[in-house]
Amino acid sequence: MNLDRRSIPYRILENGLRIAAVVGFALVAGSGGRGGGSAALQQTVTFLLAGVVIVILWEVAYVRRYQYQITPDTFDIQSGVLSRREREIPFERIQNVDIAQNVIQRTFGIAEVRLETAGGGSTEARLRYVSRPEATRLQELISDRKHEETARDPGATDDVLFDLSSRELGVLGITSANFRLLGGIVVVLSLVAPPLTQELSPRAELLLFLGPGIALLAILALWVISGLQAVLQYYDFRLLRHQNELRYERGLFQRYTGTIPLPKVQTLMIRENILARRLGYASLVIETAGYAPGQGNENVESAVPIAKRQRVLELANTIEDIDHPTFTRPPKRARTRYLARYTIAVGLITAIGGLYHLLTNSFPFWFVSAGLVVFVPPAAHLKWRNLGYYYDDEYIVTRAGFWTRRTTMVPYYRVQTVSSSQTIFQRRRNLGTLVVDTATSGGFWGGEATALDIDVDTARTLRDAVHDRFQGATTRRRANG
Amino acid sequence: MADGRDDPDVEVNGSSGRERVSGEPSPGSVTAKAHAPSDRSSPRREYGPQPMSGHRQAETLPEEILEYTTERRSLSPRVRILWSVRAGAVAILFGIIAGLFATNAGASPAITGVLVLVFLFVGLGLVLARYRVWIYQIRRDALYLERGVFQHVRTLVPFVRIQHVDTSRGPLERALGLSTLVVYTAGSRGADVSVPGLTPEEARDLQQRVKELAIQAEGGDAV
Repeated sequence: MNLDRRSIPYRILENGLRIAAVVGFALVAGSGGRGGGSAALQQTVTFLLAGVVIVILWEVAYVRRYQYQITPDTFDIQSGVLSRREREIPFERIQNVDIAQNVIQRTFGIAEVRLETAGGGSTEARLRYVSRPEATRLQELISDRKHEETARDPGATDDVLFDLSSRELGVLGITSANFRLLGGIVVVLSLVAPPLTQELSPRAELLLFLGPGIALLAILALWVISGLQAVLQYYDFRLLRHQNELRYERGLFQRYTGTIPLPKVQTLMIRENILARRLGYASLVIETAGYAPGQGNENVESAVPIAKRQRVLELANTIEDIDHPTFTRPPKRARTRYLARYTIAVGLITAIGGLYHLLTNSFPFWFVSAGLVVFVPPAAHLKWRNLGYYYDDEYIVTRAGFWTRRTTMVPYYRVQTVSSSQTIFQRRRNLGTLVVDTATSGGFWGGEATALDIDVDTARTLRDAVHDRFQGATTRRRANG
Repeated sequence: MADGRDDPDVEVNGSSGRERVSGEPSPGSVTAKAHAPSDRSSPRREYGPQPMSGHRQAETLPEEILEYTTERRSLSPRVRILWSVRAGAVAILFGIIAGLFATNAGASPAITGVLVLVFLFVGLGLVLARYRVWIYQIRRDALYLERGVFQHVRTLVPFVRIQHVDTSRGPLERALGLSTLVVYTAGSRGADVSVPGLTPEEARDLQQRVKELAIQAEGGDAV
């Protein structure tokens, strides 16, 4: 089968614009010095026209030479204009089939289909572009072929697990401020603002107090932007259960359909940032092996972007049979550790400021940062308060984080390796850390459940217990087939 | 660095009840092992059905599995030479860089030599500490590793999870007659699990054992 014909004009538009931008930039940069007469203009126009013709020819050839077939076991793709490439992707290797469609593609009636396989962070194949019904057909067909053994139940309907209401969309917009970015802005402003204000006005000291005002404005602007972004991204979000997989649809301008294969689910993570926690809301992230929907390492996509905490727990319960966890906090001496750590950090900042003041005789308010010490006890307490772990016969659950609290649930049969560790700082207080690793692609936050700063003996006992339960769970799963 | 060394579990090597894993000297202790964790039990550490299945496994396949397990082993002493060479290179590099800064600030050029010596001293101390801390052991159902001076990590890698096992030898390792065992799992920490400083024979032997145990664990009692 071929790609949809309507993708030719879209691709020409897409690539033509990109190339025109590059060529145009190069020409402007190149002719800028010479001044350029009518001859140069003529040359430019010819050059551009030739470029356009080449792009058109290339795209027509690309779309015509791109073919895909569905065989009983594999999805075959033959592609390439000059160098040909033939691929056979076995159905059982395909983890996810995602459909993406932006506004322009929607007016053309075409969509991009992405086939993801386990292993390797990149997409295995992209069909750019097929018609929208064809995309849905492929998604369903591949999903059916993948679960051939569980023959399709004719009466099977898609259960709607979750439908994002407009109220929840509003909450999502309000709560999706990116606090890490906010922190970055505050730091950048506090570094940039003082010299800048000195440049602007001799009354630098007075203007210095405008710094917080500017920071506040930036925070507000960023809040609005990230809120809007989240609303656009998750507009009309729906989560469906389709036999052995979850499907979701979302997006206003860029419509996106993705699948999460349930047998490949590794860990569940509940994310609540401080605002959402205040309002009693949370989001649920489902991490599968080797591939997190939505690519990008940092922004793992949510299976449920926002819902009441109780609802999120219920949804987690339908995916993994997990009880309401009751967390054990680390011992109180862990809190003392954070107290010491933050005090040292404040001391260091002040010392650096003081040194800078001594050396350059600028920066007159260097001692102000010592005032941060007021925040040390609450910060230490909050950090400690949000830590915790819980385990039962089937799962180990850990949580951490004050700004964004992440609760990671790992079923024992998904454990890859388990470690206990102790740094020399933890040794002083007889504390240790338990790390349970799973096969998720993870990114920076995901992938492993970490119980930070628990009693070192508990960490070691838990390590062995998790290992034993893992062995037990695999034996039982094997026995059950 | 002293703290790196005087970890009780590493030094005492076993018999202390704190870390049940360290004991395990002889084949006879395998069934005991399945129950051993109870010595530190809190009320929540009841196992449900798992210890039974673990127990059964130990009964059905004890002999062939026990052939492959090892006691707690240290790395080959020669690995200290390898690490020392690396530490020396790092010391020279950092010594020269720090020396440049110091001479720019007006110190005499001799400072570079002193700095290199200081870095070398620290580096060698770390090498010795690291060597003393490193322990590996092939257990009935997992590969067990202890390592790290500043952050002491004890890892269990279940054989069921092992994807494949490599031995690798860099040029320096070849010159010193050393080899590294690399164990791959699907975990997000990937090929992080490696045992350096083995003699080639040891490495090959370990590779063989791990491979056999991984196959056993895979086939296991599913048959």
